[in-house]
Amino acid sequence: MELNIYAYKCKRCGELHYPYKTICKKCGENDHNEFDIVPLPKKGKLLTFTTLYTLPSDYEVVTLALGIVELEDGNRITGQLDIKNPKIGMKVNGKVEVVRKDLYKKHLGMIFYKA
Amino acid sequence: MSVDLEKILRPVDTPLPKFPAKYMTLANGQEMVVRQAERDEIPDILPHVEPLIHVERDFYNIVAARLYSELLAYYTYRVQDEYVLVAQIDGELAAIVNGRSVSPDVGMSYHTFSLRRGLRVGAHAFATKMEYHIDILKQKEVLIVAESGIGFRRWMIEYNLEKRFHIPHELGGCPSWSLTKELFDKARNTLVVGRRPVPEHLLEKAKAGILPPSDPPKGPEDLLAATRSMLDSTATSLIEMRRKQGGKIK
Amino acid sequence: MREVYVAGIGITSFSRLEYPLVEIAAYPGLMALRDSGLKKVDHLYVANMGGGRINGQTGLASAVVDHMSLTPAGAETIENGPASGASAIKQGYMAIASGMHDVVMVIGAERMREANPLEATDFVATLTHPQAEYIYGVTLPALAGMFTRLYMEKYGVTARHLAMVAVKNHKNAMDNFFAHLHEDITIEGILDSPEASTNNPYVADPLRFYDVCPVSDGGACLILATAEVMKKINKPMIRLAGIGQATDTHCVHERKDPTELLAVREAARQSFKMAGVKPSDVSVAELHDAFTILEIAESEEVGFFKKGEGHLALERGETQIGGKIPINPSGGLKAKGHPVGATGVGQAHEIVLQLRGEAGKRQVKNAKVGFTCNFGGFGNNVVCLTFIKE
Repeated sequence: MELNIYAYKCKRCGELHYPYKTICKKCGENDHNEFDIVPLPKKGKLLTFTTLYTLPSDYEVVTLALGIVELEDGNRITGQLDIKNPKIGMKVNGKVEVVRKDLYKKHLGMIFYKA
Repeated sequence: MSVDLEKILRPVDTPLPKFPAKYMTLANGQEMVVRQAERDEIPDILPHVEPLIHVERDFYNIVAARLYSELLAYYTYRVQDEYVLVAQIDGELAAIVNGRSVSPDVGMSYHTFSLRRGLRVGAHAFATKMEYHIDILKQKEVLIVAESGIGFRRWMIEYNLEKRFHIPHELGGCPSWSLTKELFDKARNTLVVGRRPVPEHLLEKAKAGILPPSDPPKGPEDLLAATRSMLDSTATSLIEMRRKQGGKIK
Repeated sequence: MREVYVAGIGITSFSRLEYPLVEIAAYPGLMALRDSGLKKVDHLYVANMGGGRINGQTGLASAVVDHMSLTPAGAETIENGPASGASAIKQGYMAIASGMHDVVMVIGAERMREANPLEATDFVATLTHPQAEYIYGVTLPALAGMFTRLYMEKYGVTARHLAMVAVKNHKNAMDNFFAHLHEDITIEGILDSPEASTNNPYVADPLRFYDVCPVSDGGACLILATAEVMKKINKPMIRLAGIGQATDTHCVHERKDPTELLAVREAARQSFKMAGVKPSDVSVAELHDAFTILEIAESEEVGFFKKGEGHLALERGETQIGGKIPINPSGGLKAKGHPVGATGVGQAHEIVLQLRGEAGKRQVKNAKVGFTCNFGGFGNNVVCLTFIKE
């Protein structure tokens, strides 16, 4: 089953929010929870990236490649990268996989690969 | 009939290649020389290790205590195939690393002891030790443990050491980690640094004598505050230890 | 609204302090009382971020007020991430300006080194967005790394410029007794020499070890008071003339142009407007260089230099002590240290010292207008202060 990351669409004005906001950032008029969920697209381009060497204690790997991706619909997302030589502007494809494990839980998020 | 007791008590050392001295430029522009210490230099080193046996912070006390015994064992010929490398900045002792050769293929890393903070001296010293085992002694792996969290982060995590938990390390019998030749080769470009040969004037200054470190790690300036910071209202731990030393309590 | 002045200051050294957190907070308070000659205060604000999680002490201000025998004065703990210090000063200002109190003590304190480095990293990472950043293993250095890469791409900032910030701030700190690091690093040692990769390893590339501030313990204090109180105690009249604060999106990826620090821009604008001065009037500034790139970026956003030209001004030496606009004469967060809750108050402490003419070897000549920028989270909550010597 293919997993998605969901954006929240204001039922009043249609503005997309990722991540969730309680009050719509465009019209500010919504009632509580007055949002529809919309899956975020998985294709985009890499805006910036870094390789992190000083990782939080949950990680067993030595380094982590992270990046900010601008998706096809203009929304942006932070994600991990599984890309050997990332470049700004590179086209990428995302997949929802395990990005962090703590004592009892596995956390899911987007990992981007070279398109 | 006289018995040469000393001959019986001394282990027979395997002839090991010496560590060729190297030097590196530190972050503040100073140059550090790393060289192998001679046995008869050990008495010059011991007085700089001893005070840290009483610094109850960052595991300085246990590392200093164990290192002191290892250095003494080396000096009195009571340990087999041990080596001691010293790092000096302008002649001043900056770090000591030691270990021993267990077999032609396996090395046992003992301690990495840094007396100069803030310049990644420990990182340089540890890397040099690994170079000695893998490149110079041509061993296949080095067994390592860490006493402090800082050591763990810098070695086990950064070098991505392999677990060898079935092998008890000589330091306390704890589960060992291993730096294999493959891991070392992978890290070579970024982690193994330093140049050879050492310029004459630097080597001469280093060999002329081991000078005391100018700003070694010290115990807390306010013992009572330090015990309070460890949630100890009885002021037992640090004060008692200091009292036994015959030192003053502020 | 009444005018607010700085009556007394105090600071600990920012390093590794083997004292309980409460005492790290109380000591600068004591120093500030002695400095001002005052015996009591009406209210206490304590800025702190990690007390609950790292030190097992919540309600820090309540503990400190009693520890300093200042009860029954009211006390509150202020938490605004790394901007806690300046936020607490803002609360102190409002308490006096509104007429509610006459003398307010503002302390910033942090004891981060009680935890091991892994715990400290995790703790600071809790500033990030839980579902959209934290789960990816994003830490503040990671956000700064991504920001730096964009800045290098867009404006031509290089690793050398970042190293220049570190070297300048380390040099300034050599004359600062309270600084965490007294290490006169050189460009050769951290960038050019063959050993630079070990001396200065990558943390979140392109940021390296010497581009990231240390983890420090420390405390600082400012006592704020009305003009009447100032007349009685006969201390130099240093007025807290302008305060500005602004916020930005929580997730860095949601910012329209991720190379812009809009919260810094707006907070600085408000602060200058309130004080009635322009950026070009500033004699000395303490900017929040938790990462060396931030000193460059903030120097542009607050208005000292045009956007994209901060690194050029750095090259020309304009931000050295003695230059056009000295930045971080104390050594900045990079060399002076960054005990998170204390930093904002520490920056103000340095500015007051400079405006009083008491900064010794690192004194900026004829300092009349001082400015601080305290950067919370990763640019999503910024507080700027402007001080004027009267």
